[in-house]
Amino acid sequence: MSQSEPPGGVFGLSYDGETRVIEALKLISTAIIVLVGAWPIYWMTQLAFTEYEAVEDSVTAFPTPDIFTLGNFTVLTQPEMYTYMFNTVVVAIGTIVTVVLVSLLAGYGLARLEFPQKENFARILLVGYLFSPIVIGIPLYQIWQNIGLLGTRFGLIIALSAISMPFAVWLMWKYIMTIPEAHEEAAWVDGASRWRGFRDVIIPQCRPAIIAAALFAFALAWNDFTFAQILLPQTDTTTFAPGILRAMGQAQFLPDAYLMAISLAMTLPPLLFAYFMQSYLLKGFQVRAL
Amino acid sequence: MPDIEIRNLTKVYEESGNRIVAVDDVDLTIEDDEFVTLVGPSGCGKTTTLRCVAGLNKPTSGTITFGDRDVTEKPVQERNIALLFQDIALYPHMSVLENMAYGLKISGFSREERVARVEEAAELLQITDQLEKMPADLSGGQQQRVALGRSLVRDPEVFLFDEPMSDLDAKLKAELRPVIEKVTDEIGCPTLYVTHDQEEAMTMSDRVAVINDGKLEQVAPPKEIYDEPESQFVSQFIGQPSTQFFDGNVRAVNGTAELAVGSYDYEFARDGLEGWAGDDVRVGLRPQYIRVNDDPAAGIPATHLLDEPLGDATHSFFDTEFGEIVVVTDPDFEGNGEQYGLVFQDEYIQLFDADSGVRIA
Repeated sequence: MSQSEPPGGVFGLSYDGETRVIEALKLISTAIIVLVGAWPIYWMTQLAFTEYEAVEDSVTAFPTPDIFTLGNFTVLTQPEMYTYMFNTVVVAIGTIVTVVLVSLLAGYGLARLEFPQKENFARILLVGYLFSPIVIGIPLYQIWQNIGLLGTRFGLIIALSAISMPFAVWLMWKYIMTIPEAHEEAAWVDGASRWRGFRDVIIPQCRPAIIAAALFAFALAWNDFTFAQILLPQTDTTTFAPGILRAMGQAQFLPDAYLMAISLAMTLPPLLFAYFMQSYLLKGFQVRAL
Repeated sequence: MPDIEIRNLTKVYEESGNRIVAVDDVDLTIEDDEFVTLVGPSGCGKTTTLRCVAGLNKPTSGTITFGDRDVTEKPVQERNIALLFQDIALYPHMSVLENMAYGLKISGFSREERVARVEEAAELLQITDQLEKMPADLSGGQQQRVALGRSLVRDPEVFLFDEPMSDLDAKLKAELRPVIEKVTDEIGCPTLYVTHDQEEAMTMSDRVAVINDGKLEQVAPPKEIYDEPESQFVSQFIGQPSTQFFDGNVRAVNGTAELAVGSYDYEFARDGLEGWAGDDVRVGLRPQYIRVNDDPAAGIPATHLLDEPLGDATHSFFDTEFGEIVVVTDPDFEGNGEQYGLVFQDEYIQLFDADSGVRIA
């Protein structure tokens, strides 16, 4: 740039002016993202703590002391709510355990063993992502019905594990490849069998990837609606997300504030889980610095 | 304690239809208590040989025996070896103590015995105060000591080293060499040490095995390898700065041989040149046995290029009709880019077959 040209950037402003504009745009875009992301959570939270009559009568923005209550949460003591929550927790834990175990073994196999069509196998795995749960759900309904898995938590665990698996296996594969083979060979030299070396040397080093895969599987299982709605048709075995919908349809008396209380109770565990695991999650996606 | 016998070891890799012979019919015996170094340029098959001995690679043909035990088909876990890796390969999630005790844990030793043996080894290696640390908190030299300790506590039948010091700086290497010798003496088993660093090979070994292109070129004690190389490759590979080579021709052989190097004739007495009259040869000479004469007509004419003063000697580079030639000169020598004549010290001349590189005389 020559000296004679007027100073200026993208908008033809002076550099100072441009910096101010960009700072302002950054603030605005941040505000929009925060609003879109945080507003629904705030709205749910405030309604959950407001007396339901007040919610029905007018629009409230904040549970002021005169309308504040914890009474909405008594809805959680209803027996079917308890069942939904229990089922959701069982399915989430079952999915996490299945996903972690299978992805560790599959990832190790892809990273360390040679077999024909290995690369193609891994690519086909990703194709599983192209189908939405609703597309797989209907055929699964028929298959599960034939083999007696319909309406069982186990059947849902298998379905949910299957859709978490491509990501988890790829993550584990790439992560194990960053662990030097010499670590395992050193264990073999020390007398460890292949399985023992995998257990003592590979798995402990995979902890960040295991946590990342577990978090991913948890989020998927906890928030799943489609599979649960299709594969758990009976009310007594269903999970939380379809459970609420059914409760809304069946109950004569279920005010919005109660619904919000239930929603808040079910949103908190994943939020807390994600918050405390985030440092591990980041490590899981990082390529290890050696 | 047993020895290591490697017989007709061959390893062929098949890669997309290509046959790559990594190790070609290698025969090597390492006596009990003996330290043998396998040295060669990168890609020469030395690491493959070692991995076959370790059981990490399966040989295509040939046998490996430890004492009277044929281990060719045995997996690495059943060979009772110790192996030091190039990238050290300590378990990053275990403390130094756990790292050193892992092999004992697998063998089923009690906790007290494991700790006792680790502490004993740590004392020998002077890492007693590091036992509670994690490997990442240690320096490269300390990590290598821990890796040595891991092998020491297990009392292996065979000790293998796979370029363990190639990532360390020269000073640390010099510091660790005596430690390695101490540990191998302590264990007292046959040791195979693989390196591309000829200085390591020369300083630590009982015998040096020079390997090139999958074939053993020569196996001999360090001094013999240096003084009496059997091939042009060995002569060039061992010694720093390396042997300088010139094209020559054997003129006449009757008692004394007359050797023509370029336009210069050298006469010297040497046995074994009968039948070579008229043949082309490669003339090798270590740089410290070349003299620099101020008179260009006194020897091979050479233009001085530059000096590398090292304090105790100077490496001087000259341009000649045979390419760039290095000469070890007096520490006070300054060439100043002038013309000189390079004169050979006859008794140190090595002659090699121009085609095969095999030593003639």
